[in-house]
Amino acid sequence: MSILTARKPKQPDINKVKLTKKEFNRQWVLILIAAIYVIYGIIFYYLPLAGWIMAFQNFKMKTGFSSPWVGLDKFKFLFRPNSIFLRVVRNTFCMGAINLVSSFITAIGFAILLSEVKNELFKRGIQTISYMPHFLSWIIVCAIVHDSLSSEGVINEILMNLHFVEKPIMFFAHTKYFWAIVAISNVWKETGFNAIIYLAAITSIDPALYEAASIDGAGRFQKMLYVTLPSIRPTIMILLLINIGNVLNAGFEVQYILGNDVIISVSQTIDIFVLKYGISQSDYSLGTAAGIFKTVVSMILIVVCNYIAKKTGDERLF
Amino acid sequence: MKKKIFSIVLASLVAVSALAACSDKKANVGEGTEAPDTTNAAGESVYSEEKIIEMTMFSAMPGNEINDGNEIQKIIAEKTGVSVKETWLTGQTAEEAVGAIIASGTLPDFIDGGDGMKQLYEADCLVAWDDYIEKYPNLKELYSDEEWDMFRQDDGKIYWANVFCNSYGEEKATGHNDEAFWIQVRVLAWDNYPQIETLDEYFDLLERYAAANPEMPDGTPVIPYTALCDDWRYFCIENAPEFLDGYPNDGSVIVNIDDPENPKIVDYNTTPTAKMYFQKLNEVYSKGLMDSEFAIQTYDEYITKLSTGRVLGMCDQYWDFAYSIAGPYAQQGLDDLGCDYVPLGLVAEKGMKQQWHAYGDTLNNSSGCAVTTGCSNPDMAFKFLNDILDQDIHDLRFWGIEGVDYLVDENGEYYRTEEMRDNWKDEGYKADHCCTYSYMPQWLGTSKDGINAMQPQEQASEFFAGLAQPLVDCFEAYGAHGYPDMVGSDKDARPAKWYPMYSYSNAMTNDTEGGVAWVDMGTCKHEWLPKVVTASDFESTWAAYMDAYNACNPQAFLDEMQEELDRRAAV
Repeated sequence: MSILTARKPKQPDINKVKLTKKEFNRQWVLILIAAIYVIYGIIFYYLPLAGWIMAFQNFKMKTGFSSPWVGLDKFKFLFRPNSIFLRVVRNTFCMGAINLVSSFITAIGFAILLSEVKNELFKRGIQTISYMPHFLSWIIVCAIVHDSLSSEGVINEILMNLHFVEKPIMFFAHTKYFWAIVAISNVWKETGFNAIIYLAAITSIDPALYEAASIDGAGRFQKMLYVTLPSIRPTIMILLLINIGNVLNAGFEVQYILGNDVIISVSQTIDIFVLKYGISQSDYSLGTAAGIFKTVVSMILIVVCNYIAKKTGDERLF
Repeated sequence: MKKKIFSIVLASLVAVSALAACSDKKANVGEGTEAPDTTNAAGESVYSEEKIIEMTMFSAMPGNEINDGNEIQKIIAEKTGVSVKETWLTGQTAEEAVGAIIASGTLPDFIDGGDGMKQLYEADCLVAWDDYIEKYPNLKELYSDEEWDMFRQDDGKIYWANVFCNSYGEEKATGHNDEAFWIQVRVLAWDNYPQIETLDEYFDLLERYAAANPEMPDGTPVIPYTALCDDWRYFCIENAPEFLDGYPNDGSVIVNIDDPENPKIVDYNTTPTAKMYFQKLNEVYSKGLMDSEFAIQTYDEYITKLSTGRVLGMCDQYWDFAYSIAGPYAQQGLDDLGCDYVPLGLVAEKGMKQQWHAYGDTLNNSSGCAVTTGCSNPDMAFKFLNDILDQDIHDLRFWGIEGVDYLVDENGEYYRTEEMRDNWKDEGYKADHCCTYSYMPQWLGTSKDGINAMQPQEQASEFFAGLAQPLVDCFEAYGAHGYPDMVGSDKDARPAKWYPMYSYSNAMTNDTEGGVAWVDMGTCKHEWLPKVVTASDFESTWAAYMDAYNACNPQAFLDEMQEELDRRAAV
C-alpha cells in the first residue's frame, strides 16, 4: 500500500484512465480484489443462467440437457386459463408491495424519531433492542407469531378478556388476515435493522442546517420535515430502487411456514410455487420457467423505476 | 405466558437439533461410501466392530430416530455386518424431501421415497433388484413371481419392494391397519354399546355424550370430533365417501363393478354420498361439535390433541395415529379411562355392506424400500435386506431379545410380561433398545416356527393381554375378537386384481394431462373442503366448490385411470 501513497498521482480524470502497464502496476491490488468479485459473480450469478435452457425443454434428470425441446410450452402452461400461477403472481406482487411500503415507512419514521431522542443511553438501548429480531431466523419468528395468534394464544386471550370478540378469531383460517400478518411480522423483525442506514444518513447531516432552520423559527416537526427528510432523500431513493427489484422476492419462509391449505389462495408465492412444481413434482422445466418470469419482471421494474428517477433528477442506480 | 416462552424455547431447540441431524446425516453418507469392502469377511458369523459398515436410510415419513449405540441395532450389526442409520422426514412434504435429495445428488444408501419413488426412478437414482432377488432367497420369497412383476417399471426391471401388508403363512390379523371412523370406547360404553352404522347415528352419539360429559377429569373440554387436513394426510377428511358407499380403499377413485365384465372408474368426490357426508360435517361444525381448528392444525398438533384423550372421534387410518398416541396414553392412564379408540365401519345407508377393512394382503406397488446408486456396496445392502428377514433377526426386530423383551412358554409360544409391554410403549426405552428397521422388508402373518405371529401386535394372546379393561369390555360387548370384527367389513370381499388404484395415481407426473389435473384437483380439494365444512351457507359453497373442481378438468384424470383399470383388468 505504501507504493500507492508514496507516488502522488497527477489527479487524472477517473473516467479516462487507460489501463497501461504502469497503471496496472499501480492498481494491481485493487484490480485483484475487484477480480475476485467479478469471478464470484460469474460463477454464482451468470453461469447458472445456462440452466435457463431447461425452461424450453421437458427436462428430465435421466436425459439431462439433451431432453426434448418444447419451445414455450412450459410458459403456456404457466399462463393457461384457470392457472393458479396468475394468482401466485398476484400474491407475490401484493405481499411484496405491502412489505416494501410498510417497511419503508416504519424504518424511516423510526429512524427520524430515534434521532430526535437526546438521551444517548436510552437511544442506544432502543436501537439495540429494535434490531435484535433481525438476527432471529424466520422459523423462530413464525413460531412466535403462530403461537400468539392461535386460538389460545396471547392475542386472542387479550381480545376475549377485553370482550372485543366472543369466540377466538382463527387468524390463519381466513384469507383476509394473511397479508397483514405477513406485513406486521416483517415490520416487527426488520424495522430496527432497516433503520440503521437511515440513522447513519441522518448523523451525517450538517448541524448548521438545523441551526439555520432554528433561527428561521422552525419547530421540531418542521425541522424533520424540511431538513431531515430532504437530506436523506438520496439514501431513500437508492434503497427504494434496490428494493423494488426485490418486490417479487416477497418471501418464501414466512408464507411457507405460516400458510396452510385453507388460505393457499393468498399465501402461495412464486418461490413456493417453484418448490412445489420444480422440486416436489420434479418438473424442473416449469420451475425454471416460473423463475425466469420472476427475473424478467424484476428487471423491468428496476429499469422503469431507474428511468423515472433519472427523469425526476434523483439519485439512480445506473 | 411462561408456557408460551417455554414452547418457543422448545421450538428453537427442535430447530437446532434438526439442523444438527442434517449435518450428522451428511457425515454418515461420507462414511458409507468410503467403507471398506467386506466380502472377505462375509463368511464370518460375527462381524467385529471395525468391519461393520455404516449405511444410511431415508424414509419419507415422519418417524423417531433411534439413539446411537442402540442395543438391538448393535446385535443385528454383529450378525449382518451392516448398521443402518435411519433418518426421517422433518417439516417437509415427502415429495419436497425426495426432490431435494435428487437435486442435491447426495443419496442415502437406502431410501423409501413414498410418493416420490417414481421421481427417484426417473432420475436414475435406484439400483435394480432383479439379480439380487435371484441371489438372495429371503428376498425372492417376499412375493410371488406375479407379484414381483407388478413392481416392474417401464424398463422391465424391479427397483423397490413394498414392505407392508405382506403375510407369511396364515394371516393373523387382530388389528385394523386401515381407515375407519374411530370412537373412544367410553362413549360406546356410556350408551351401553349401541350398534352404530351411519353417520347420523355416529354424530348423534358423539353429540349426546359430549352434552352429558363436556369435560375431561382435569377440566379441559372434550372435542367431539376433529378432522386432519394437513398436506397428504387430508385423506382423513377427503376419502370417506368411497368407504361410505361400500367400496374398498382404491384411494383416488371408486371402481364400480355393477357390470363385472366392465369395471368403471367413478369419481367419489362428486357422488351424492360425498355431498351428504360434507353436509353432515357442515352441520356438525355449525353445532360446535367439531374442533374449530381442524382446518389449520398440523399433523403434530393433531397428534398432541389426540394424546390428551380429549378427542372423542375422528376418521383416520390406524397407523396414522395409533402408534404415536400409545406412549402418552400409557403414561397418563388414558387407556384405563376408556379413551382408546375402536373403529366403526360406517355406511351411507343402513344395511349396506362395506369394505373399510381390507381382508387379505394389499400390494401397493407405487412405493417401497430401495437401494440407491449412492450406495457404494449394493451387494452388501441387498445381503442385509435378505439377512434381516431371517427368522432370528426378524424376531429381534419385532419381538426383541428373548428373556429381556419376551419369554417363551412350554408350547414355544412367545409372551410378554406387563413390564415388557410397558417398556415397548416407552419412547426412551425404544430409542435405546429397539430397532425394527420399520421401512425395510418385513413379514406379517405367522412366524416360520408355525406357532407365533411375525409381529407381536398380531399375536392373539399378546394382543388381548395388552388391552386395557374398557377396551376388553367393549370387545366382549360386541362379541368381537379384534379390531376387524368391530369394523364388520364384508369378509368375503377380496381385493380385485386392479386393487389398489392409488398405486397408479400416486405415480402420475405432470407429463400427462391427467397428471396435471390430479395435482390441480388435490390443490382445489385442499382449499375447498374445509371451506365447505365451515360454510354458513352449505349449498352455495358446495356449488362454488363443484365449479372450482370441474375447472380442474377431472375428466382427464378419470380417463387415464380408466385406461389403467382396463389394462389391469385385462392382465
